[in-house]
Formats: sequence, structure tokens, C-alpha cells
Amino acid sequence: MMHIGSMTGDILASFFRKVFTERYPYTARTVPERARGKLAWDAAKCDACRFCVRDCPAHAIEFRVIDKAAKKYSFIYHEDRCIYCGQCVVSCPEGALSMPNKDWHLASTSRESFVVTYGEKAENAPSKGD
Amino acid sequence: MSTFLIIVTYLIFPGGLFVVAGGLVYEYADRKLVARFQNRVGPRWFQPLADFVKLLVKEEIVPAGVNAGLFVWLPVAALAAALAAALYVPMAGLRPSWSFNGDLIATVYLLMMMTLCIGVAGANTSDRFSLVGAVRALTQLFAYEAPFLLALLGPAILAGSWRISEINGYAQGHLWMIVTQPLGFLVALVGLMGKLELPPFDAPEAETEIVSGALTEYSGRGLAFFRLGRDIELFIGLTLISAFYLGGLANPLQFLVKTLVLLLVTAGLQSLFARLRIDQTVGLWWRIGALLALVQLLILVILKTSGVPL
Amino acid sequence: MSLVTSMESISELAKSWDTHAVSPAENRYDIVVTRGNLLTIVAELLRTRWGFLTAITARDVSTASGSAPGKEGEIPADRHFEIYYHFCRGPAVLTLRLSLPHEKPSVPSICGILPSASIQERELAETFGIEVEGLPKAGRLFLSDDWPAGLYPLRKDTTPQSIRDFTAVAPPPPATVENDATPGKFTVPIGPQHPALKEPAHFELNVDGEIVTGVSLRLGYVHRGIEKAAEGRPWVQNLYLMERVCGICSHIHSMAYALGVETVAGIAAPPRAQAIRVLIAEMERIHSHLLWLGVAAHEAGFDTLFMYTWRDRETIMDLLEQVTGNRVNYSVNLLGGVKYDVDPSRADAIRRGLDRLEPRINHYLGIVTTDESFLRRTRGIGVFSTDQADFLGVVGPTLRASNVHRDVRVDAPYSAYRDFPVTPVYDDACDLAARVTVRVKELQESCRLVRAVLDALPPGDRAVDFPRRVPEGEAIIRVEAPRGELFYYVRSAGGISPDRVKIRTPSLANWAYVMSVAVGHKLADIPMIVVGIDPCFSCNDRTFLIRQGDRKGILGWDDLRRYAMQRYGRRAE
Repeated sequence: MMHIGSMTGDILASFFRKVFTERYPYTARTVPERARGKLAWDAAKCDACRFCVRDCPAHAIEFRVIDKAAKKYSFIYHEDRCIYCGQCVVSCPEGALSMPNKDWHLASTSRESFVVTYGEKAENAPSKGD
Repeated sequence: MSTFLIIVTYLIFPGGLFVVAGGLVYEYADRKLVARFQNRVGPRWFQPLADFVKLLVKEEIVPAGVNAGLFVWLPVAALAAALAAALYVPMAGLRPSWSFNGDLIATVYLLMMMTLCIGVAGANTSDRFSLVGAVRALTQLFAYEAPFLLALLGPAILAGSWRISEINGYAQGHLWMIVTQPLGFLVALVGLMGKLELPPFDAPEAETEIVSGALTEYSGRGLAFFRLGRDIELFIGLTLISAFYLGGLANPLQFLVKTLVLLLVTAGLQSLFARLRIDQTVGLWWRIGALLALVQLLILVILKTSGVPL
Repeated sequence: MSLVTSMESISELAKSWDTHAVSPAENRYDIVVTRGNLLTIVAELLRTRWGFLTAITARDVSTASGSAPGKEGEIPADRHFEIYYHFCRGPAVLTLRLSLPHEKPSVPSICGILPSASIQERELAETFGIEVEGLPKAGRLFLSDDWPAGLYPLRKDTTPQSIRDFTAVAPPPPATVENDATPGKFTVPIGPQHPALKEPAHFELNVDGEIVTGVSLRLGYVHRGIEKAAEGRPWVQNLYLMERVCGICSHIHSMAYALGVETVAGIAAPPRAQAIRVLIAEMERIHSHLLWLGVAAHEAGFDTLFMYTWRDRETIMDLLEQVTGNRVNYSVNLLGGVKYDVDPSRADAIRRGLDRLEPRINHYLGIVTTDESFLRRTRGIGVFSTDQADFLGVVGPTLRASNVHRDVRVDAPYSAYRDFPVTPVYDDACDLAARVTVRVKELQESCRLVRAVLDALPPGDRAVDFPRRVPEGEAIIRVEAPRGELFYYVRSAGGISPDRVKIRTPSLANWAYVMSVAVGHKLADIPMIVVGIDPCFSCNDRTFLIRQGDRKGILGWDDLRRYAMQRYGRRAE
């Protein structure tokens, strides 16, 4: 059976329906619980094993030990390089890393704002040999 | 009429600025309606104007290998023809600002100028897409023009006049011609869509095949004029068909209601079909369109000569 | 085509060729061939229709140095190239192994027997510098036109440093297109940038009026060098690299890679993980096919259908986001399992989403099979016979729409497909309309599968531990991506990163169809024919490393500025 204009029903219904398009950013968007946002680092749990650095496919994590005994580390996270795959969260044996769905409005106009330093300031770190 | 009034008629109302503004408003309405049919938001009210101004400001690039004079003046000619056509049509439901016996034929030819200019403009450049687009545009012109003209002749025969204002007056005093000549109305409406290259008759500018068709090389002012010319044609075409088939246009309110209802129908038709290939378009028009228009005309002539009141 | 009969038939054939054959795995047979008998064997395999050519893999082998390149300027004595021709029949894979010397390697072309092999042979020639004798002369297919001649990206001694040091030899001149001077005939270029192409590729269409008389193809505009890059990265990181081969079918790529690595390592992911992988793969197929349906409608100028399918696609995208956290690159795979579990509340959310989606899919099936204006653009267009499709090794829905009964999920069930059998969809119309119908019916089938997996999700862990080093070995993985059979060859030399990863994407196998069908059609039909295979250019173009040293001819920012000033200065005069 051939039809002409088989979407007539759709377009007529659509005329009386709310438009589907979300007017982001004018309307708020709720993200699901598992959405991955900005990486968070918990200094207290970190054991300086560097598994996260090793497994990160985007080289988005730099890790510097300032004082191992005092647990003084510098954890530098490059938001712009991060591909939000969550491998570091899985690789971390201590559960020190997480990617909560809170921080995900990450657009910025400057590059510098994408470099996030957790823990000690990087300047305090001894220059790296490798 | 005083010289001042004539200038106002040409430049401001009901010609010139009014027609330009009307064209932009109707483009907006068309886009918004199609968007609503597709469950989308669609443009904001000033979008067509913003597009127009933006294009005017942009650099007009004249590609190598074209006749620069033709390239620059064709859009102007197309726009001028569309604006001139508006003077013979009862815009806004008022008396046409200019009228003579046989102005219907003149108007139809002025409206055709647009497509001709587009065709020549496409053939003027050495771009492949433009050439294919120009060939398609002209092919399509030959396909719909005859049925479209025939469909406009029906009301003219009934009214016994070639003057648009008289046909409009006749239509007001009689039964709506959409009732007496449904086939003619259908051909005229679909013909208008073919004329304006609206989907599904947009093969001459099918973006997935030939980018932008004949206008691929146009940017800036030239493109702005072509687009505006097309908007004005939409405006005039809707006015003309409502005046003929929907019981005439006696006042601005009738004008607004009737043209917008017509626009709603064309927007619906635009959303419902897949694009026709150019060979399918030509086949459709000659096999079905022309036939329908002729049959309608024949019935009309027979009824009129046998004295049936219409 | 059971595994046993396939394997028996191959051992019989091997005997008749008097060759050395080994079976490295239960579904595989390897036959060592030489330059001399390669053509005879390939011709025999194709003549008897034993199977179809899936992929041609090449390797730069140096047993001494493993995955590391040899010392500066020194070629190990045992260094050579190996070429593998993988033929498949049902679940069985037959590999013809050919060794070539490192100096001036050359191999006879099989495109005289199988024309569709030329694309893969050109890839071989461009990336490994292996001369393929008898390949029709043509410009480059994959590498960029200004890539220097004599530098072969996939050889082991090509490194970022060696590219920088490479003393540039001028690249070969780009192929000039034969321009017919006859009036009325000319070439219409489609691409690299064209509204019909969502990704860059370049077609030269010779047309006579509106009729196409010739087609040539150029790929490679989005090369990212993924195969090469994979060799320098740890196994885990490559999981995410593979996911980025394609934006639409990202999960299936990382899934194939994970299955390959797990096979080499001899570690299987737990059943629950396998089921979740299948679940995501089928949801991805729904999203991919709906996306395709919209694109096809758009190419046909049916924008309303386009808008509606994409609107409804949001449903499945949102579900994927709920389950995995991401809308596109889900990153759900791990080596040895999956990252995310599907709990009952999420399973219910998926079921509710499908309840909304399924009536829509049925509605779309009605439209594409009955709407006169859409059928006018698809029915009888691009007819591709069953025989051709089978012979040329076309894959996926394109193949099944030509009524060839081949689907990896059915023929060689991988992962959890053994527990969740698929009812494949075929159509015997062989035209574009059939390709549309098959894909929409596959949507229905995928919805059914998703429900089946949700209803019988096996209990247990979602991942097992995976070692950092993978023991030496190789694996061949075939999976059914939304666009067709996806082929992975993964090889480990025992190190922390792969020795070779070869990816043969479905789009690459399907170009043969476009090239053989396009001629004789109207120009307006070409975008529809191309879209009929659901082309994915980024999948094609994954192979190469584009990293250039300083060379002339590239304009920097300052050069561009100067150029612009000169140009406009001239105009002002």
C-alpha cells in the first residue's frame, strides 16, 4: 500500500506540541548521576603510586612528590587535555580520585584556567629528573 | 496622482519598503511554520532581516572567469523585477498602485525574471555546481511555468478580464474559486512552490548534491538580493493566489488571514515530501500538472459557453 | 556453514596446494604461501567461493628487537615484512601468510582476481612501501599529497624523530584527473568539503548531463595515525584511542580491541561484563542506525523525517548517558571487564525508554516502506546483486540488503551473543530501499535484544584484574559493528604496548560497492548511493601518523597574514 505524505499525522501533532529543542543554557540541564565532570583528588587518600599518571590516555595528569613522608604532593590536572574516560578513577587503588557530575560547565576563554593544581603549589616541587 | 504620491507608492507603500518588509516577515513565518511542523524552535522574528543585513555587510567576491558586469547586475535585475511585480498586485488587500489591461501577463513575466536571472547567473560562472544548478533551474522553469500560467488564466477567463484588480473585484462578489476550480487552485499553489524552489521542488539548489546550485558562487550583496527577491516573490505569489482563488482581497485583514492560511498549507506541503529529482519534477509537471490545468480550463470554457452561472 | 565443515574443507584445500598449514586456534587456519603460489591459491579460494577476503594485514617484523626499532641506521639481519591475507567463511578464518625480504619488498596484486582488494593493497603500498605489482596507477588514496615519497609511516623505523630528520624528497605530483574535453561532459567534484558529506572525502564524478560516467575516490583527509600511535602506547591507554576511531560506533571498537587483548592474554571478562558489553553495543546500534536514517532522509531532501529520527535518537542517547555517563564515547570497557554495572533502576529506565522508542521505530518502518515520495528516491536505485555483494566482500546491512546471509553475531557469536541469539534481517530487493528497510528492521531486532539482555543479565563481577604486560601472541577479532563486520588483528610481543594493531573498518570494505554501482546513475542519486553504506570516513582514515617537520609550502600564521595583506593591497590599487 503506497502513501503520499505519510508524515501528515506527525506534523499536525507537532503543531500543537511543545517544541522538543532544549533551550540550553537558558534552561538548566540535569545531568545523570554517572556523568563525568571535573576530576577531584583527595590528598588524604593518595598513596603516590602514580597509576593514574601511567594509565591516563591523554596525559592529563602530572604528579609531583614534594615530601613523601609528610604526604605533600602536587597533583596537576589538565582539564583541557582530559577526555573524561574515567580510567584514572578505576586505576586508583586507594579511591582518591573521583569524577563527580557537579562540575561540568568547564568552558573558558583562557588556557591557563584549565590547569588545575591540587595540593601543594607546583613551584615548590623539586625539578623533575625524568 | 501628485509626483510625491507616486514616489511614495514606488518606494514606501505599497511598493518598495513595504514589500521588502512583507517578504522578510513571510520568510520568517514560513521558516517558523516549517520548524514547528518539525518539532523545532525555528528562527527568531528578526532572523531574516539579520541575515539580509549580514549579507549586505559581507564582502562580495567576484570569482575569476565570470563576466563581472553580469555577475553584479543580475541580482539587482531579479530584485527589481520582483519589486515591479508588486505594483500590479493588490498588496495588503488595497487597490494595486498601478494597473492596465493585461497586467496579469506582465506580472507573471516579471515574476519569471527571478528564475531567469538565477539561471543566467549560474551559467555565468565556471563553477560545476552553479552550472548544474542553472541547468536544473531553467529545466524546472520550463516545467512549471506553463501549468502555473494556465492555472492563473482560469479566474481571468471567468472574470472576463486580464486586469488583476478586476479579477480581484470579481472574486469578491462571487463564490470562491477554490470551490469552482479546485484543480486550478492546486496547480497554482504547487506551481508557486516550484517557482520558489521550495521543497520538494528544490532540486535546483539541492544542497546534498550541488551545494547551493546556481548561487554557489554568490556571497554578500548579490546573494542578499537574490534571497530578498525570492522572499518578495513568496509574498506576491501568496497574495495573487488568495486574490484569485480565495474570494479576493477586500481589506488588509482578509489579506492577512488568507495569505497566512495559504502559507500554512505550503509550509505543510514543504515538510511532507522527499526531494524530487529533476527528471521526476519535469515528469510530474508535464504529465500531471499541465494536464490538470488544461482539464480545468476545458471544463471552465465549456461551462461558461453553455451559460452555467459560476 | 558450521565450523567443522569449514575447517575440514580448508585442510582438504591445503593438501591440494601442497602447502604447510597450522591451526593456531580452534577457528583458525594459517597457510604459509609464497610469491609464486599466492595468486593461484587466492584464485582457487574465490573461484570455489570458499569465503571472502576480510582484510590484508602487513607487519614489519624484527624478531631480535621485538617492538622496539633497531639501532640507528642498522637493519637487523632477520628483519622482514609479513603480509597476511585473512579470508573468512562463517566462523572460520583462514590466513595466508607471506614473507617478504626487507630490501625492495614486492608482492603480486590480487586485484586482477578481486577488484575490491585494490583499496587495501593501496593502503599496503602507501604505509609499508611494499610494491604491489599490477596495481593500477593512481594518486594517493590515504596519505596526504605533500607527504614525502619514500617515507612509510607504519614501518618500525619510522618514528617522530626519523620523520623530523627525513631529508625531504619531493612528494609525487598529485594525480591529474583525466578531463574529457567533449562539450557537455565534465567533472563534478564532491568533497573534500561538501554539504552532502558529513566528513571529508573526495569524489570526482565524470558526468554526461545528469548521468554519471565515472567515479574516482580519494580518502585520508582525517588521518590520525591511530594504528601507528597504538604501537607507542600502553595497552590500557589504547582502549581509549580505539574508542576514538569512530565517533558513532565508538563502543564496538573498544570492545573489539578489549576482546582481542583479552584473547592474547588468555583472560576472559566475566559473563556479566560480556552481557553489558553486548547491551551497550546494541544500544549503540540503535543510536547509529537512527542517526543513519536521519542522514539518509536528509540526503533525499526529506528533512522532516530527518528531524524526527534525530529527535527520537535523543531517547537512546540519554539512556546511554544514564548508564555510562557519556553520550558518545561511553568509555564503558576495561581490559578484563566493564566500568559500569546496570542496576535494576537503570534497567527499568532503559525499558521505559524502549517503550517510547519502539512505536516510533515501527512508524518509521511504515514510512520508509510506503511513502511514495521517499520510495521514488530509493526503489530500484543502486541495485547490487547478491553475487557481486558476496564476491566483493561487502559487509553489514549493505550486504544483508543484497540477501547475503552473513552476520558475525550469528556466524561467529562473540562475547555474550552465544547466550543472546540474534535473528538477522535480510532483504532480497538488493536496492537502496532494501538497505533502508534492513536497517530499520535491525533497529527492531536491537530493541528486542536489549530487552533480552536486561531480562537475563548474568550475576557476578563486572571486571577482573588485568596485567600490565600481555604475553606474546596474536588474535583475530571479528565483531559486527553497526556498519558491518569490523576486523581487528592484535599482536603482542610481550611488552607493555602492542606490536601491531590492524583495524579493517566496515566502511573500507564497502567502498567496492559504491565504485561498482555509481556509474550509470543520475548525479542526484550519488549522495543516496554513498549514504547507502553508511560511510564513516574517520573510520577509513584512522591509519596514519601525520606529523611533519618544517617544510616549505606550509603557511604559518605570519605567512598567512602577509599573504592576505599582499592580496588585498593588490586589489586596492
